[in-house]
Amino acid sequence: MRQRPLNDDGTLVRLEGIHKWFGDLHVLKGIDHKIHSEQVVVVIGPSGSGKSTLLRCINILEEPTQGSVIFNGQDITDIRTDLNKVRTQIGIVFQAYNLFPHKTAMENCMLALKKVLNMVDDEAQERAMTELKHVGLEQKADAYPSQLSGGQQQRVAIARALAMRPQLMLFDEVTSALDPELVKEVLDTMKRLADEGMTMVVVTHEMGFAREVGTHLLFMDDGKIVEEGEPREVFERPQDERTQSFLSHVL
Amino acid sequence: MAVATAEPARPPDVRGPTAPLPLSIFALGIAALVVVAGGLLAVQIAYAVNGAPELTEHCLVNGLTENQTGSLGVCHIVEAFRSSALTVVLLVGMAVGAVAVVAGFSINARMPTRRQREHAIAGGVLGIQAIVLGVLLFWFRAGKVTIFSRSFLNIAVLEGYGDDFLTGAKNTLYLAFGGEVGGIILGLIFAVLTLSTRRVVRAPARAYINFFRGTPLIWQLVTFYFGVNLGLGLKLGTIQVGLIVFTLNTGAYAAEVFRAGIQSIERGQIEAARSLGMSYLQSMRYAIVPQAVRRVIPPLMNEFVILIKDTALIVALGQTLGQRDIFSVARQIYSSTFNATGFMAAAAGYLIVTLPLIRLVNMVERKLRSGLTGIVGQ
Ligand SMILES: Nc1ncnc2c1ncn2[C@@H]1O[C@H](COP(=O)(O)OP(=O)(O)OP(=O)(O)O)[C@@H](O)[C@H]1O
Ligand SMILES: [Mg+2]
Repeated sequence: MRQRPLNDDGTLVRLEGIHKWFGDLHVLKGIDHKIHSEQVVVVIGPSGSGKSTLLRCINILEEPTQGSVIFNGQDITDIRTDLNKVRTQIGIVFQAYNLFPHKTAMENCMLALKKVLNMVDDEAQERAMTELKHVGLEQKADAYPSQLSGGQQQRVAIARALAMRPQLMLFDEVTSALDPELVKEVLDTMKRLADEGMTMVVVTHEMGFAREVGTHLLFMDDGKIVEEGEPREVFERPQDERTQSFLSHVL
Repeated sequence: MAVATAEPARPPDVRGPTAPLPLSIFALGIAALVVVAGGLLAVQIAYAVNGAPELTEHCLVNGLTENQTGSLGVCHIVEAFRSSALTVVLLVGMAVGAVAVVAGFSINARMPTRRQREHAIAGGVLGIQAIVLGVLLFWFRAGKVTIFSRSFLNIAVLEGYGDDFLTGAKNTLYLAFGGEVGGIILGLIFAVLTLSTRRVVRAPARAYINFFRGTPLIWQLVTFYFGVNLGLGLKLGTIQVGLIVFTLNTGAYAAEVFRAGIQSIERGQIEAARSLGMSYLQSMRYAIVPQAVRRVIPPLMNEFVILIKDTALIVALGQTLGQRDIFSVARQIYSSTFNATGFMAAAAGYLIVTLPLIRLVNMVERKLRSGLTGIVGQ
């Protein structure tokens, strides 16, 4: 396997010239970016600009048409990579929760622990319970997803991803499907994670969260990173006129 | 004064009170149907019990002879059909039905409550059913009742075939259950294969499915039995060949059912499973298939009902006595007695199994539709 030297500057993920085509549709047009450990990278931009696609390229849920994703010094776009193993180290949370409806909150968290990490029942159960507590849902361990509110389902989804003890967490508009009064509990959970030092990439429309929790902000438009920097800085003094126009619409 | 109004336990009944007029029309409709159908039954029973002790003139003229098995019983059935008692019963029933129709449909729109209107309409509809049934019975007895009764309703010829029917039922159920279970296993495997992104995996799976869906089942049976089995000298018995072919055939249909079921599971489910590090097969096995299975239960049960009936096709293969299914037994009775009553018994046998199954499918479907899908754990 093509191994690259681990970066001593703390780079966890390096995106090198990522392009993505869906058929003739050019969605990502050359993305180069480094994500450092313990960074909370917030990605904003207009609908259809390629934010989700970029996020899904990081754990190769979408295979980049061109370019490399270097995770922990390993080129995971290399075809010889064991993606299943890599994915245990990259958690992702989706807008639609995607919990397994036929399994309880607890079983949702335990499934991959048992089948992928080969944990025995007791060990998996203990780990799952720890993570459910982490998101404040230990009392809902035996509930099925349909018996939980949207906010609770999303927190279970976060616990399920965390149970794998990933080095990186990806969030794709995880509060967009939630009723307004449920958004806060999920954002609070994410904020706590950030405080604990988790490396996160967060696609969001929540500008308050981006400003307060984000340590780095990417503004994407038309498949490119148009502007980036310290969130407050970008919010207060956007340089590119597309950023200015986008922010004037959402703020 | 303590006013404690208890919450009503059920929603209020807003259909309104009954009234004597529409209620009596409803009763009239029921009566009409009971007189026609029940009258037929009663007259038949009366003749079966008290009929003339020997063949009547009419029966003799129409080809029944003394030394035929069961000819007296058949004669009783025929005479009951021809009797003026039945004429009276049918006419009375139809007249009552006509009254219910006229009354029901003329007043229903003027009824003040929903319940009264429904009673009036139901009375009219039942009246129509009584009239239709009466007309059909008149039409039937205007035909060659003797020939029909002798061939299809001569229960006496079935005497002594009880054990054969039992063996037949056993074989039919064995073939149907075996074929279904085997087919479900095959179907699941081939469904996953047809969903592969690799054409080299997909193509042979599709070829198998399309071939078995595209050729007649009887062709598959005959070809496998006479061609493959005898041709290659495999020496498989009829039941074994039947089991193999029914499994292969059901497998092809079940594969399509499973494929549709799996494809109906939202894309996000497999993405969630894969992003947790599960392999494709693990994701299928633990996340997707358990959900799909619930959705495919009704169509698979329908396939099972179809298979139960299709097992009759092994009649086209060579059979020893112990290898006969229900239908083959009926056919055997036909060829040795020249009487088709065995087919009626076979139909009853199939219905005993299929009717409860059909009801069960409908119940399961209703349950799945009511939004309880995927809530209850496994
Ligand atoms: N699987 C796919 N096949 C074809 N086109 C796709 C696919 N996924 C995304 N696209 C297209 O790629 C473009 C970028 O989609 P993407 O979901 O990355 O945008 P986004 O920035 O996340 O938008 P939003 O804010 O609406 O979620 C869109 O035009 C979309 O229609
Ligand atoms: Mg998106």
